[in-house]
Amino acid sequence: MKGYIGEFEELVLLTITSLGDHAYGVAVKEDIEKRSNRRISLGALHSTITRLEEKGLIKSWLGEPTRERGGRRKRFFEITYQGKVALHHVKELRDDLWKLSKATLSLAK
Amino acid sequence: MKRQPTPSPPRLATKLFEWYCGNASVEDLRGDLEELFYSNLESGSFKRAQLKYWQQVLSLLPSYALKKRKRRPGFNPASRSPSPILTHGMVHHYLIVAFRNLRRNGTNSFINITGLSISLACCMLLLLYTKDETTYDRFHEKKDELYQLTVNRVEQSGNGKKFAMAAMIQGPSFKREIPEIEEYVRVRNQQLTIKKANDIFIETVSWVDGNFFSVFTFPLIAGNPKTVLSDIHSIVLSEETARNYFGSIDVMGHTLDIEVDGRFETFSVSGIARNCPQNSSIKFSMVLPFHYMDEVHPDNGWHWVSFPTYFLLQSKANVLAVSSKMARVYETQAKQEIDEMKIMGYGDKFIWGLQPFPTMHLNTEFEGTPEASDPIYAYILSGIALFILIIACINFINLTVAQSIKRGKEIGIRKVIGGQRTQLIGQFLGESFTLCFVAFVLAILLAQSTLPFFNDLANKKLSLSYLLDWKLVTGIIGLLIVTGFAAGFYPALVLSGFNPVTALYNRATSSGKNYLAQSLVVIQFAFAAFLIISTLFIYSQFNFLTKMDLGYNDRNLIEITVGKAIMSKPFSHLLKTGFSNVPGVEVVAPRNVGRFSGPTHANEREIMAVYEHVDEDYLPALQIPLAAGRNFSKDFPADSIHSVMVNESFVKEAGWTDPVGKTVDFMNIPGWGNKKITVVGVVKDYHFESLKEKIKPEVFTYEPKLPLGKFLVRINRFDIPKTLKSLEDTYRKVLPYDPFQYSFKDELNYNAYRTEARWKLIITISSILTIFISCIGLFGLTALSTERRTKEIGIRKILGASATQIVALISQDFVRLILIGFVIATPLVWFAIHAWLQSFAYRVNMELWIFAFAGLLAMLVALLTIGVQALKSALTNPVNSLRSE
Repeated sequence: MKGYIGEFEELVLLTITSLGDHAYGVAVKEDIEKRSNRRISLGALHSTITRLEEKGLIKSWLGEPTRERGGRRKRFFEITYQGKVALHHVKELRDDLWKLSKATLSLAK
Repeated sequence: MKRQPTPSPPRLATKLFEWYCGNASVEDLRGDLEELFYSNLESGSFKRAQLKYWQQVLSLLPSYALKKRKRRPGFNPASRSPSPILTHGMVHHYLIVAFRNLRRNGTNSFINITGLSISLACCMLLLLYTKDETTYDRFHEKKDELYQLTVNRVEQSGNGKKFAMAAMIQGPSFKREIPEIEEYVRVRNQQLTIKKANDIFIETVSWVDGNFFSVFTFPLIAGNPKTVLSDIHSIVLSEETARNYFGSIDVMGHTLDIEVDGRFETFSVSGIARNCPQNSSIKFSMVLPFHYMDEVHPDNGWHWVSFPTYFLLQSKANVLAVSSKMARVYETQAKQEIDEMKIMGYGDKFIWGLQPFPTMHLNTEFEGTPEASDPIYAYILSGIALFILIIACINFINLTVAQSIKRGKEIGIRKVIGGQRTQLIGQFLGESFTLCFVAFVLAILLAQSTLPFFNDLANKKLSLSYLLDWKLVTGIIGLLIVTGFAAGFYPALVLSGFNPVTALYNRATSSGKNYLAQSLVVIQFAFAAFLIISTLFIYSQFNFLTKMDLGYNDRNLIEITVGKAIMSKPFSHLLKTGFSNVPGVEVVAPRNVGRFSGPTHANEREIMAVYEHVDEDYLPALQIPLAAGRNFSKDFPADSIHSVMVNESFVKEAGWTDPVGKTVDFMNIPGWGNKKITVVGVVKDYHFESLKEKIKPEVFTYEPKLPLGKFLVRINRFDIPKTLKSLEDTYRKVLPYDPFQYSFKDELNYNAYRTEARWKLIITISSILTIFISCIGLFGLTALSTERRTKEIGIRKILGASATQIVALISQDFVRLILIGFVIATPLVWFAIHAWLQSFAYRVNMELWIFAFAGLLAMLVALLTIGVQALKSALTNPVNSLRSE
């Protein structure tokens, strides 16, 4: 089971990667909501992030305080090497399945 | 019109969130919440944004993210390792900081550690002393049933003299008549001559009853404790003695020749005993059976008490009942002797009593208790040590607090970056414990290295390993912990309570009036003044005692005591002639050995006078002048029977104005003749005894019946060793087997004040120590006060203050405190010295100038201490002190 991640975890990981240097709580939340067109709560998001961090797939650090957010610092996230390996695992699994099921999955009529 | 308030997240939700999170680190979450709120506010209404805020808060509360962060307060997802309060890194850091602090305040650290270790070392030595004193004789298994026989000899005048001595008869008589007494042990020490092959030794031997080794707990290495002394010619040696004489302890059956009553008898070793513990009142090197004495010198006298007797009572025997039984036994058995004494004019009453064996050591009430010591020594020494320890402790507290004021910034920073109060307390307590530990190790080294000297001072054979029993080890560790705690706790509490803002922005300063420091200085200097004044008085009294004109010349005067001559008159004559012929000898004056007094009638008064039996050479030999009349002389053959001399005190007591030619009714004893004798001369008063005693009325007699056993030999000061050698040769010719024992009279006189000499040393050392510790405390406080006032001093100098003015400025505060201390000490020391001087019949006056001198001395030392620091700061270039902030 090690190395396999859930669908929402994959989504969060990919979003953190796509946001690069700007990956922090609200940014990740809004990006996911915009792309997947679904509402997610801060509680759910941060729970997942905490789990990912526990698994060592991402790491985080506190940024510098700014004038926004009442001077409170943001916590930024970054994917780790293990995170990348986990994403590759998922992708390979999917790619294999895609390859196997090419004919039936074609959208062409 | 009301002003629209800036829209902000609902306060209740924020409060709830904060409360729920506690001290978990959720700064980023709160940031996220707030950011979302404001972005919602832009896209929708205030109400809606508030609602969404609530939703987010509620979604976070039960979430795993928060649970995780709460579980570990101080959880910092950025670092993967948890951060407990004490990590290896922190300890390392604390050590570095502590060490840097020590180095930065080199002098103060030195003061702290030195003060503490000196006082701890003092305490250890004193603990050793007290332990030894209080455990005396506790090692005997039957200690609770053991008693020492005491006697109170009450004179007709009502004055009592108490002895812990008895004659030979009390032990057996009391045991026979009183059922509660199970055993008696007599212990009689005697110096005897011992011959082994051709070597002659002088040894103190103990004649003891056969049950000695079963009543007392003195284990034997060889021999049966019950039978070891049953043979009349048996001898038990201590381990050490056996080694000294035979070089081994395997010497059962070996023999030694011991001279008893002028002839050598052979004793064979029947047992070897372990060396006596240091804390034993009874110490022996050679033990001989007492029943030898019983056979050689049977003595049924009750009143010539000279050595101790011990009783083993039945357990739970009533001591008072036994005492009253002893009184009855004495009255019936000694009746004849009591009556005879009454006829001779001795009406002293003898009251027998019992003293518990384990308590006899710390009791000087009874003369004759071996090694008895005054508990006041232990009290005073412990008091001094305790005081020194307290001073050093308070010094430590004071200096640490004052020093740490400079660490305000450090504390501020620590608090800002999240140092918990417990961490700060831990840090400071840790520092003080570490210092304590270092001081403790130094103290052990110090105590060990000063132990020989201390043993000398205390007249004991102690070693530090003696402290190794669980009670004392716990005691010492307890002392260390209490010291560390007392020294570190206050700073730890005060410092960690600093508000970081105050600590960082306003320079934290100790409040202007530091009562703790001030009262400390006062107490220290009161104590120091007390000891300095005591020292000066003890010195002047001691000087007085040793330098006072004794009324005779004790220089180049040798005292030789001859045991044989007491017994036999021809010996003393032979010796006197022999000694007189030795070149270098000027005069030889024989006299009686002891010093006894009895009732003498003169001018119809009864005078208790000391009898001195001398010959015509006594006064010239001692160079004592006559006040009136003449000396005894060979030209007046009748002198021996019909003449006496008296001293001035006698004349005064008799109330005579013209004493020569008056008669005294001398020696009112049957057999001596109840005779009236004429006074031919009056001797000027001289101090034959120590100056603690008043000069007593004395009667000098030429009476030939009394024995002469002591020779006072006046020699000239040229080639004293040769004279001594010739004296010894002369002596050997007369008495080949007796030890030649002599002493110089001036040394004897000096030795009479051994206790005073010891006190002098003790008080001198303690006052030096106290002054030293007080001064290092003062030194530290001055250093801190000048440092705090660096800028002030700089500005004063710029405005034209001279170095003298600045030194005066810094000194004046301390001078006032020292004066207060001195004022407190003066009346106390006055009482103490007054009480002490009462024990001397002849004493110095309590001169005021000594007080003034002591005050000046203390002040001088203190001013020197302060002055060094003050001058240093006064001479600093103000540019340096003012340049940097």
